[in-house]
Amino acid sequence: MNTFKNKINYESPCDSDNDWTNSSEDSKYSDSESSVPEWDSDVGDDGELVYMKIKSITKPVDDSNTPLLENCEAFKLRSDFKRSSTRRSTKGRIFKVLKKRKVINKDNGNEKKKEFEDNNKFVIIQVSKSMIFSSEKNCQIEKLFGISLETHKDGKTLVVSDFLPESKAIYTPKVKTGFYLQKINGIEVTSYNINNVLQRVIEDVDNPKLTFQVVTEGYNLDIEKLLTSKSAPENSLTQMLKDAMFSVLYICCNDVEYQTNDDKGVLYCFPRPFNQNFLYNTRGAYLTLNHLAPKSLGTSEPTISTVLHKNQLINITYASQYSDLLLVAIPCGDIDVFAAKRIIAEIVRLLEFLYGSLKTCFTKPNNVDKLDSLFSRIFVTLLNESINKNKDMQCSVHGSLYFEELLAAQAMSLPLEVKLQVDDAITELEAADYREWIDDVESFQRLYTVLGACLYYSGHLLSSHLQDEDLKEVNAYLKLNGILKLSSEKDIEKLVIWKEVFINEHRNQNKNDGNENRIPDGRWFILVVGKGHFILATLMEAGGCTEDAVGVTPPSPFYVEECESCLELLFDVGLNKYLPSWLVSNTQPQIETRPEYLTKHGRKIKEASSKIDLRSSSKLTKSQPDIKKRHNSTEQINMGSTSDNSINNYHSTSQHNLYAQWYNGPIKQYRHSSLDVSYSEDSGSLKSNSEVSEDRIVGRRADREKNRRDSSESDSDWDKQDGSRSSNIDMSEMRKSLLDELNNVTAHRITAGDENVLFHFVHLESVKGILLAPVKNIETQANNLLYSHIIKTFRSAAKKIHELLQHSIKFKRSDTPSNPLNKILVAVKEYGMLFEAPSEILNQCGISKKSCEPFYFWVVGRVFSDPEPRELYLCYHESVPQDLIEVSYLLSYLE
Amino acid sequence: MSVIAIAVAAESGVPIFSRKRGNNDNIQFSTIASLHGINMFTKCHNLSLLNTKVDNGTILWKEYCKSITLIGIATGGLESDLELLLSCIYDAMVFFIGKKELENLKNIDQIKRDLRQCYPIIDYLLESLDPNSLPRSMIILDSIQSILCPQAQQLQLVLDNYAQNVTGRWACLSIHGHLVATSSDFCELDAREARLLLLLAAAQDGIPLRDTLIYLPLMSPNVAFRAVTCKLLADVYVLVICGATPPLSQIDEIVLQCWEGYAQIIKEAKLVYPRNFPMTISFDPALIGVLVVNINKRRCVFSRHLHGSNQKSRSMSGVHRIDILRTFFITSARDLAPELKIEGDDKDIINGTLSEMYWCSEYHKCHAQRSGNYLCCALYAPSVPNHTMRFLTNQILQDISTNKEVFW
Repeated sequence: MNTFKNKINYESPCDSDNDWTNSSEDSKYSDSESSVPEWDSDVGDDGELVYMKIKSITKPVDDSNTPLLENCEAFKLRSDFKRSSTRRSTKGRIFKVLKKRKVINKDNGNEKKKEFEDNNKFVIIQVSKSMIFSSEKNCQIEKLFGISLETHKDGKTLVVSDFLPESKAIYTPKVKTGFYLQKINGIEVTSYNINNVLQRVIEDVDNPKLTFQVVTEGYNLDIEKLLTSKSAPENSLTQMLKDAMFSVLYICCNDVEYQTNDDKGVLYCFPRPFNQNFLYNTRGAYLTLNHLAPKSLGTSEPTISTVLHKNQLINITYASQYSDLLLVAIPCGDIDVFAAKRIIAEIVRLLEFLYGSLKTCFTKPNNVDKLDSLFSRIFVTLLNESINKNKDMQCSVHGSLYFEELLAAQAMSLPLEVKLQVDDAITELEAADYREWIDDVESFQRLYTVLGACLYYSGHLLSSHLQDEDLKEVNAYLKLNGILKLSSEKDIEKLVIWKEVFINEHRNQNKNDGNENRIPDGRWFILVVGKGHFILATLMEAGGCTEDAVGVTPPSPFYVEECESCLELLFDVGLNKYLPSWLVSNTQPQIETRPEYLTKHGRKIKEASSKIDLRSSSKLTKSQPDIKKRHNSTEQINMGSTSDNSINNYHSTSQHNLYAQWYNGPIKQYRHSSLDVSYSEDSGSLKSNSEVSEDRIVGRRADREKNRRDSSESDSDWDKQDGSRSSNIDMSEMRKSLLDELNNVTAHRITAGDENVLFHFVHLESVKGILLAPVKNIETQANNLLYSHIIKTFRSAAKKIHELLQHSIKFKRSDTPSNPLNKILVAVKEYGMLFEAPSEILNQCGISKKSCEPFYFWVVGRVFSDPEPRELYLCYHESVPQDLIEVSYLLSYLE
Repeated sequence: MSVIAIAVAAESGVPIFSRKRGNNDNIQFSTIASLHGINMFTKCHNLSLLNTKVDNGTILWKEYCKSITLIGIATGGLESDLELLLSCIYDAMVFFIGKKELENLKNIDQIKRDLRQCYPIIDYLLESLDPNSLPRSMIILDSIQSILCPQAQQLQLVLDNYAQNVTGRWACLSIHGHLVATSSDFCELDAREARLLLLLAAAQDGIPLRDTLIYLPLMSPNVAFRAVTCKLLADVYVLVICGATPPLSQIDEIVLQCWEGYAQIIKEAKLVYPRNFPMTISFDPALIGVLVVNINKRRCVFSRHLHGSNQKSRSMSGVHRIDILRTFFITSARDLAPELKIEGDDKDIINGTLSEMYWCSEYHKCHAQRSGNYLCCALYAPSVPNHTMRFLTNQILQDISTNKEVFW
């Protein structure tokens, strides 16, 4: 047996019944405890693992420390281990570093972080000086900052009581009502000195900085804790879910084996106790209905019931399989019928993915705690979203779950070069080409075959190499467990999840099928690895050509490292720097986030503001991409950023315009250095460069990143690093190519007409489980009341359109004419609605009543049935009629 | 593809009636019992089952005046109107036997027998939810199908005179089941009551003169009135509500007195059918069907014969045109008139102010626009471009609101 085989044995616990870590001590490759991965102690008895470390929000110490660590010997060795570096230099030998894998003492870091978390958190918001909010009360604070304050009981502290509508987007979700306003521009404020401070703010030229003290009240819905905890959810949480009327019930109806069950076939119920669960108490009604409808009424089985209980509307969703019935109760209001229908489908999909079938899910012994925590995670995720969204938007009670988020995985359209980089990284992982790792490839058998992987960034799907059905299931898994949400809100330091799953293809395979190409009877695992805002989910197969997995199968550190290095590669390429800027670039396709500019009056404002922008060149506003395209001709795909535009002329020295907006002063220096770079294959320099690039972020983007992390002092960190490291810049091939790509970034427009009239779009490929839409935080980016109104309208209208278009899709899918479908509804291909924006909102957006022509916008949805159903939803200003077929055509060029 | 309406006594669970339309089997007693049982059971647990969705359909329980439970089951695409249908059925029950009887439910067998007379009306109501049939007298549940004719103003005077002579109120004239002219006080009646009156005339087709004891569900649910329907010409009825006197024989004479001289006018008005619009309103040839709703008055005019008799050889049958516009209105265009929604039915409310809406399908295009009190749904050939469609619909709305011969 060669050495590699041995190594694998050590990795694979199935060879020994005893604890896996013990066996590793015998291994000749583990010279010390350092080879034990940090997540090792978190592996459960069943081999499953959820390990997570979130970067603390306020952690100036950590930030400055991390790069320094690199200088020490250990870290260098570690970075040598990088998969990317091994690939690119044949020098890299893996085994010597395998030993040194775990050197950084994690305990120190952890302690520090805890301190920060436990202390009072602070949120800093910078308010643009140019913004003047309309205050009814003519209150100075409201005018300047767009918030209204009240005095705390102590008579001194200022408490945020409300936000003005326009300012809402600036503050939420970071600042909530009830937070204390602590400092303005670093000066402590109380009710006594507030007026003086305000006076100073008015005189000051700089944008005021507000520091809020976070006040946590009530039970904190912490999805991180829920994800990592192995025990059943706490009582307080269960009670809260019970009060919110969330509930699950699984009933096995006429099965002989469960007749003895005391609960008459109820196999699972959450939250418990049984007799306090309203769903349990009224289960008879749903059961009867579920039987009656198909048998006696000639309809299909019920899908959803709306009930009123304790003055609360609740949607009860049905999922029946054979004679069993799964009921999930979801409180209405936040989650409407449309959303509830999709959620139950996702829950069923998730349970089947995790357990093979609903039956095994609820009959598996000792599974109750797991299911409890799974469902509490699902419900908390739903609850969190609805709470957040309700706070974001006033008065929207119905269906606050976004249309886009319910239907499929939201993909991001990337420039081709970037897409290639991403795909390349994932393909490398999937290829599992270990020739460089060991000389004797032939004689080692792998533990797993990688079936495919998908990569998310901040909740957006970047790339998927999974089968369509698998992607849907993986997406359901990540979404319902709140992992996607977490990855977009927090900066993940390390996330490792390992779980056995049952892939769709195997579940639906006919057991007696003699087909040669049938997939092997193996076992499948999902490995989720996260770093930063990236989430990489990989499906692995054991069986067939790999070693069979027997018994309890904990994650193999080797494969975890593989996935981690895949993410590392993306970091090395600089994708972690590139994507945030891409997310705010609003280029592919460009959408109009200042709808009022499309009115006669708005055009005037626009012209005026573009002049101001020119003058105050250092303070470019976010709306800048929109200002660009006025002079463009009727070309539909046009080069937005490089067009004859005054602001770009200002930056004419810089070629890559994506960054140009943010790198103002330092840009030239940066470009010089990047021109000087010498291409180097040396892995060390590659690493250092990717670190260095971090230092280069100053100016606007630094501000933005700082804002995103809610961090106060990081600003100064950048500066510090800047000074210390600017000297040794080096550039790798990949980095270079990515920057080249940035040069070519163009803003695309998919609507016809001189002006960009597109407000929002959703392109849904339901078969693939993918949809394309503007980035999720577009509303916050736009920070515009009218735009928010338009988006809200779009979402509610799109739900209705989607429901109608399903008739046509269903009809095309089913060949049986007996299906009771309305023949008129199935013929509808396109459904459009014209809305008028209310004049109050127009007034608030600065369009005065006199010059106010009505503001109309269309929400149109269309289904394209060939070759597989695709749906396109558009929201655009009424001034230019659009042909959805053309728009869809243009959109397809972007993908 | 079916509509089922079941009434049971809320307390005892005794089935009162069950009516159905469509291709399903008759509902068995045990099924009715189970359905009622579900409702009772959830009520015991302080939970009310408001609405249950099945694929392409809805099951609904509704309780009225604490004594009657109506259960509705509808599939086939128009199920969004099921709640409205059940409330119409309840209105029809009150219309015939009065609210007091329904509340007390003393003699259930007697009530069952009494309610038999409202079966024809209930069947008419069910039709309007059945996507497979052409409704005879009601295309949409929430408005009264009417004919716009230039004679309406003249006829109003006659109707006023007639109502005065029979010492009654609220008179109207119907042609082919469409409301043509009303007395000047007719608007006092709720649209739901007016609709039941028209349905009554339709249900009593062929009888020259008849009076029926009726209760007005909103205005006087407990005190009975006498509704007198009188056939003037073929398919032409005059309706009036009056007290116990004068006797039918006397009314016969009054009818003759009042209406003798107006036969010609009525005949002229009758010619407007089936175009249903005055000839002075012209339609573009691209238009193949139109439905105009007067939202305040809850009246609608539908027409599929827009261009005289020479253009009959269109690809689409007239029935299909009604069906398309009806489906378009029920599933989508009603959103343009939020007033028409039933109270509390806010489940699929759309944020924002809608002003236009369209459907494109492979064989037709529908466009709806609202302007003030009027809502116009128009059916076009698929080749008509969207902007033309918008222009034409807008023109119809302007025509309707400015034309001097339009008299609602």
